[in-house]
Amino acid sequence: MNRRSDIWLAYFMILPVVAAVLAFVIGPTWDVITLSLTQFVMGQARGFGTLVNFKALLADPVFPVVLKNTAIWILGGTVACVLTGLCVGLFLAIDSKLTGALRALILLPWVLPDVVTAMAWKWMLHGQVGIIGDSFSRMGVTDGPISFLGNPDMVMWILVLILVWRKMPLVALILCAAIRAVPAEQIEASRMDGANAFHRLRYVILPNIAFSLTAVTVISMIWITAEFTLPWVTTGGGPANASQIMATYIYQQSFQFFNWGVGSAMSVVNLVFLMLVVGLYLYINRRSWAAGGNA
Amino acid sequence: MKVNVNRRAFLAGSTAMAVVALAPAGPALAATGALSVWKFGGTPAEVEAWPAANERFLAENAGVELNYSFFNGQIRRQKLLAGFQTNKLADVIIAFGQDIPEFAGFGMIQPLDDIAGDQIAGWKERMVPEVLNAGMHEGKLYGLPTYVDMSAFIAIDSDAMAEAGFDRPPATWSELRAYAKAMTKPDRPGIAFPATTAPVDINIFEGIAYANGGRIFDEATGQVRLNDAGVVDALQLYADLIADGSTPSGNSMTETNFRDTAQLFGQKRAAMWIGLSWLNTPWGVQEGMNWQGAPFPKPDAPSGAYPPVAAIMDGTAVLMVSSRTQNPEAALAYIDFWSQDAQLNIWGGNPEIARVPAGKAAWKEAGLAKAWPAWVASYEAGTLFDGAEPMPRFIGVSAVESALATAIQQVVLGQKTPQEALDEANAAAQAQIDLLRG
Repeated sequence: MNRRSDIWLAYFMILPVVAAVLAFVIGPTWDVITLSLTQFVMGQARGFGTLVNFKALLADPVFPVVLKNTAIWILGGTVACVLTGLCVGLFLAIDSKLTGALRALILLPWVLPDVVTAMAWKWMLHGQVGIIGDSFSRMGVTDGPISFLGNPDMVMWILVLILVWRKMPLVALILCAAIRAVPAEQIEASRMDGANAFHRLRYVILPNIAFSLTAVTVISMIWITAEFTLPWVTTGGGPANASQIMATYIYQQSFQFFNWGVGSAMSVVNLVFLMLVVGLYLYINRRSWAAGGNA
Repeated sequence: MKVNVNRRAFLAGSTAMAVVALAPAGPALAATGALSVWKFGGTPAEVEAWPAANERFLAENAGVELNYSFFNGQIRRQKLLAGFQTNKLADVIIAFGQDIPEFAGFGMIQPLDDIAGDQIAGWKERMVPEVLNAGMHEGKLYGLPTYVDMSAFIAIDSDAMAEAGFDRPPATWSELRAYAKAMTKPDRPGIAFPATTAPVDINIFEGIAYANGGRIFDEATGQVRLNDAGVVDALQLYADLIADGSTPSGNSMTETNFRDTAQLFGQKRAAMWIGLSWLNTPWGVQEGMNWQGAPFPKPDAPSGAYPPVAAIMDGTAVLMVSSRTQNPEAALAYIDFWSQDAQLNIWGGNPEIARVPAGKAAWKEAGLAKAWPAWVASYEAGTLFDGAEPMPRFIGVSAVESALATAIQQVVLGQKTPQEALDEANAAAQAQIDLLRG
């Protein structure tokens, strides 16, 4: 075959993917952007080309709380997931019977459905009947049961903990695989040069797994941004909006209040925020990405 | 005069006369074709009873292909919105009465007056007028309620009440505070109330506020009224009960919804709880526990600007016809089926007795009189629905109720006073209403 027919074949082969991306990514995104610039009155579209939804968003006293909570959720959740995942991954990378078994068992939280996870944690953390607060109380750690999810100062961080419990295992396994792929001779050479465990981690292992670390961080951030069921079922955004995040507030505006314009405006803000964070992260890590990609 | 009529002419003439005479009184043409029904929410017994009734419907309407689906009540707006946008809405929607104004405003459902014709006369004949009115919106009937729930009621542990030295349920707010304090023990609060953002939890509070002359919205002026005295003072009652030390911690009540609160009461972890008319019947109580239900105590001196109501009520199984239905005949046949005494008889004998029946015949049932004698006596005296109004229903109700839920939680958590929390909620809700209504 000549070069021209090769090119056409290539286009033909990628056509299904391009069509799928257009239909399921570009199309809905475009739709959301146009919706965000449309005013809806009584459920009917009344005029395109308005910023009324964005203005309403800026005037909404709940929105700053939502932004703050979302930052804790996405950034705190991602950092916590990746750091604990790295620690657990380092441990699992050690060859032993125990770690062999743990590598399989650790996936249990990952395979549980979101709703089951949320309901189980909700009841374990409940202020009146929760086993965790009751255990603390019986051990004398606290004076009485603690209402973890009913405390507005605590609830977001508790949600992040649940998130880490749920998402961290896969992060740990991916990083474990990357760590186990680090050439043994490099680690051995550094040990012979007198490097201690921290130095081996810092100067040998981390540079080698930088590609995986970057990828898993970006993927985690996207997963966490899209996560809706866990916070919604666990707290419903409460108490008093203390755990209201973008995903739950978009749902509330769109499907409970029928305020589609504002819901779409928030989705656009969410998209821009995510693109900025991911773009910044990829920019900072472009060298390690390239190095990993070439490795 | 002699008239010559042969046998053939006589038979033809009399048959024609019989057909003409009987045609209006005969049964309507049987409905046929596909019929989709979406039901949202319901107690466990109701969820089981509804498909059994569907079998009876199919036996009577053999030509109908019924496609019945049940969904969680909390996702009804999402599901219906998606169905509406994609032209996949069911023919019959069974949702909440509070939904009617928004569904009607958005064109999702159609007035039954326009399509049901003389069937409506039969519905009026068989149904309690006040309950049927719960399906009305702007003078038109949009939904057929199969029962209503009323707010607010209180469940009382009778043994705990007797132990505290009381022989009747509390009748006023000040009595309630005294009862709750007296019935509180170190390991058992005197009273609990749900304070999550669940719609039922908000309806429970609204029942108290409306009885105090409060309203959350004034349809005539389009103004949100959350910070009126009637609502503020009702929320102050919640704050007072907490300040008295008669409740679980505020934190834990914000994570305990109506169902969880009922279960705590049923496990003797609270001596009283505030709920809707069904109280503990869907979930039961510990074996041997003596408990009773009573209307929620009235304010000592109502402070709201509107007439105090006896109760507010809403149906959560209201049958509506989609505006996109392709088979209105079958949809109406299904609704008419549910207006019959057999179906309105509280799930065919299943003791779902805390739903306030919609059918007149259901009120004559011995089971209901045994379980709720006060209700039946009041109904027969014609006073049960005196001063009862529908639960809040208007375009934007969810946004206002959500703002109210946030205010309730802020007060329960001790973050703000009722006036501060409701002032903020009022402003936020008004902004949402203005946006929705243009």
